[in-house]
Amino acid sequence: MKTTESAGRSVVAASSDARACSGMPLRSRARTFAAWRRWPRHRLFEAVGHAVMLTYVFVTLYPLVWVFFSSFKTNREIIERPWGLPSSLRFDNYVQAWSGSKVGTFFWNSLYVSTIAGTATVLLAAMTAFAITRMRFGRLSKGVSAVFLFGLLVPAGSLLVPLYMLLRELKLYNTPLALLFPYAAFGLPLTMFVIAAFFKSVPGELEEAGVVDGLGAIGLFARVVLPISVPTLVTVFILNFLSNWNEFIMANLFLAKEKYRTLPVGMVAFYDQLNMNYGGLCAAIMFSVLPVVALYAVLQQKIIEGITAGSVKG
Amino acid sequence: MRGKRLVWTLACGVLASGMLLAGCGGKSSGGESGGAQASVQPSAQPSAEKAEPFTITLRHTQIKDTQKKRLAMLQDVVKATENEVPGLKIELDGVEDKVNRFEKLRAEMAAGNPPQIFDLFGGTDTRDYVKAGRLLDVTPILEELGLKDKFYSLAEFTVDGKVYGLPMAGYVEGLYYNKKIFADNGVQPPKTWDELLKAAETFKSKGITPFALASKDAWVINMMMNTMWVYTAGPTSVEDIVAGKKKWNDPDMLDAFKKYETLVKKGYFQEGNLALAYAEQQNKFAAGEAAMVFDGSWANTPLTDPEKSKVANDVGFMLFPALGGPGDGYINGGWSNGYGFSVKVKDNPRELAAVKAFIKNMYNEQMQKRQLLEEGMLPALKLSDTSGVKPIIAEILSVSSAAKGTFPAFDSIVQPKVREALERGMQELLGGRTTPEKLLENLQKVQEEANRGS
Amino acid sequence: MNRTLRDPIAYFVFVAPSLALFLTFFAYPLLSALRYGFTEWNGVSPAKFNGLANFARALSDPDFWVSVKNNLWFVGFSVFVQIPFILLIAVVVSALRRGHGFYKTTVFLPSILSTAVIGVIWSFVYHPEAGLLNQLLRSVGLSSWAHAWLAEEKTAMLSVLVTNAWQWTGFYVVLTLAAIFAIPKELTEAATIDGAVGFRRAWYVTVPLIRPVIAVMVLLSVTGAMKALDIVFVMTEGGPYGTTEVMATYMYRQAYKLGDYGYANAIAILIFVFTTALTLAMQYFNRRTEDVQ
Repeated sequence: MKTTESAGRSVVAASSDARACSGMPLRSRARTFAAWRRWPRHRLFEAVGHAVMLTYVFVTLYPLVWVFFSSFKTNREIIERPWGLPSSLRFDNYVQAWSGSKVGTFFWNSLYVSTIAGTATVLLAAMTAFAITRMRFGRLSKGVSAVFLFGLLVPAGSLLVPLYMLLRELKLYNTPLALLFPYAAFGLPLTMFVIAAFFKSVPGELEEAGVVDGLGAIGLFARVVLPISVPTLVTVFILNFLSNWNEFIMANLFLAKEKYRTLPVGMVAFYDQLNMNYGGLCAAIMFSVLPVVALYAVLQQKIIEGITAGSVKG
Repeated sequence: MRGKRLVWTLACGVLASGMLLAGCGGKSSGGESGGAQASVQPSAQPSAEKAEPFTITLRHTQIKDTQKKRLAMLQDVVKATENEVPGLKIELDGVEDKVNRFEKLRAEMAAGNPPQIFDLFGGTDTRDYVKAGRLLDVTPILEELGLKDKFYSLAEFTVDGKVYGLPMAGYVEGLYYNKKIFADNGVQPPKTWDELLKAAETFKSKGITPFALASKDAWVINMMMNTMWVYTAGPTSVEDIVAGKKKWNDPDMLDAFKKYETLVKKGYFQEGNLALAYAEQQNKFAAGEAAMVFDGSWANTPLTDPEKSKVANDVGFMLFPALGGPGDGYINGGWSNGYGFSVKVKDNPRELAAVKAFIKNMYNEQMQKRQLLEEGMLPALKLSDTSGVKPIIAEILSVSSAAKGTFPAFDSIVQPKVREALERGMQELLGGRTTPEKLLENLQKVQEEANRGS
Repeated sequence: MNRTLRDPIAYFVFVAPSLALFLTFFAYPLLSALRYGFTEWNGVSPAKFNGLANFARALSDPDFWVSVKNNLWFVGFSVFVQIPFILLIAVVVSALRRGHGFYKTTVFLPSILSTAVIGVIWSFVYHPEAGLLNQLLRSVGLSSWAHAWLAEEKTAMLSVLVTNAWQWTGFYVVLTLAAIFAIPKELTEAATIDGAVGFRRAWYVTVPLIRPVIAVMVLLSVTGAMKALDIVFVMTEGGPYGTTEVMATYMYRQAYKLGDYGYANAIAILIFVFTTALTLAMQYFNRRTEDVQ
């Protein structure tokens, strides 16, 4: 960058000035002082900037780190020595949290509910997106679009109570379907718009080739369009998966049986059950957080891309 | 590659529809194969459908860290019951106690789909659910098993002469105190209000928390408050209020609340109590940092468990000091928590058999004695032998029998909206946000509205 | 080609399932809310139509207005405290030459965790005795600053807002960064040549250029603040004694703790109405200031 070069040149110039001006014994001190005064603003800014950011990152991550360390300590240690590493890596808390409470069940429940609902959302949204962007049913497609657009506006919280009543009537309350259907449905609007946006950017030649090959609309979709949209579909699936995995209020309300409970609901229940046993609480939190962090570490590019792209479009 | 995608889509479709069918079909709790039979055979021996499995759900609240032993006892009962009824599988469903009582179970009762067996509170809860026709009348089962006269009291679970639930234990509420702290500071267990204030002041000046308290779970606050207003206004005060013969803001009621405010203002309650959940008050006491804690007899377990409590050998139990009113010397006690059963069980002979077996295995001398010895739960059935109990239990039992009489907890008498208003009001009082006068005035308004409604 | 793409059966197959799913679990409950909001219903006996009684009740209900006020606190904090902070951080990161990837990854992390779990973590951080915050204060000698954060009226709402900010700031920072990096290089270089560097460049050049994204951020923040439920529910349940109640938790309480489903539905409708009104107001305001620019 131009500024740096010119700044660099001026540093060199400055130090030679200083050498010329000052007396012998004070030479080195003066040089440093002069050099400091001419320190390019850019570098100072960099240093300060990094300092600020590192502080911010530290403050952001420290609560998680603290909980992580605390999960290896006894209650005594947590109260007496909150900082610093645990005296020994004892897994007692983890064992107790796992065996005493049904973390395994909750984990599995969250996993399959998130995956199945996410998959359903992506598939259905892709099909609909294809239909409204590619197929020649202009006015009908506009109507369908409008319906889903409305879905982006309504807050899910407003629908909690009537949804609960609907699930009761359909006798789905307290079954896994009580979560699968709503999760799949609520993910549709945003997913569909993101996929539709992607489809719009795909040229139509591939499909024309497909038609020449004798494919019908369904075949076109399955064999031509889907395979090339895999990256987008994966991203959108991850978004839905995360959103379902983290969802709390509906899972809390629509399921009563312990055996169907999901992880976030289990977490909150732990807070009530283990609230004296701080070490155990921290271990339980780690059970919920570590898998997500691991997933994030591996997929963070995609996740960040997907969420920011979705928000900008939305 | 491309064909695969189609196959995947179809597979997912099949999977989804499979789930749909599975969800719709298997969801309803077992026993369809038996078919509904009009009359219930008294000696329920499921005949033809012997080996066919069916499941019933048992909703319990023994999920806390401190309730592991109770859960173990329940599991033993479940096992014994399963062995008696061929094909039976009991699914245990654990929910936090206040969530079950005030939210989940209530909502399920409203919808008409409670579990077959569930943790139930007597008094208002039972009455409401009987009104909605959701509870099974267990009087015939009791007669059949010869248990009717073995219970100390079924009053809280009886509506119009019929019994709808069975208490699993009795309880009393009183003041636990740390004998060692009292002795070290030269304080005698207080017998009057003034002595109590003096004792609390002494403790506070030494840096000891006078009263451990965790008020985030608002119902905890009302344990002590209930006793205090009954002392100043008499044991029938709550019934009279609900009947409209008395008011919340009568002077004798106000006296108790004003006294409570004094304790708050002088800072005798645990610091930050509004942020702490129930177990924390036991924690504070068990750590030896508090001189007293008002709690129920069920709390003796965490306080005297040598593994968890530092003060296991120093725990004493006493009545709340006299406040100079007609209710002094009474004790809050009763048999208000136990198990209830869904009325739908009646239409299914196998489920009914399961319920009977459960009752038989749960409510017998052996199980009650075990509860008493291991967990210090006061028996609901009259026991022929109460020897070998922990010293604290013996103390609790002797204090209760020395009391002038018992009175039931207010929340088994008042309507839910009134209880909510009182809970909210007490939290505000602790937070310095309201005065006793305003609290009671508002409460009376809510009470009058509720009385009109019911 | 045309014929294939005009195949009505295919269209039906593609659109019907998702439309059916959506209409059943989204549109129908919405209509249901609209219907029951005008009735009095305890969930068991049949619902009684009572016109606008629920809405009148809400408007005169002091607890409801407390919850509205809390939602506004949420909105205010998100827009006037968080957003400037986010812009500052984003600008700082974008001006640094290295470390973008690292910073983006680390600050983004909290936003992918479950709000409920974050609520539990921070409830523990705020714990009066064993919690991180009070321990920190005590160890640097500021014991007098230690509070029961979630139990005191004065600090409860702020504590919840800070936790909420902790979760979402990183997300918006990354969003803003994406927008900043999307600014064509020529524009930033032109600004530099003209002598605008550092802070001045950020304020006069960068920020105006990312206006659209800032507008999106504000919109998302506001709608998020109006919808807030999980975080308040898990951390305080609306306490202490209702001082941190927001509209969504108030609605929940009416339905499940007090069994007043009609009233709860009316509140649900009001949440929707208020959110829409606020959104429209913002759109209008946005357009006006754009014209001015």
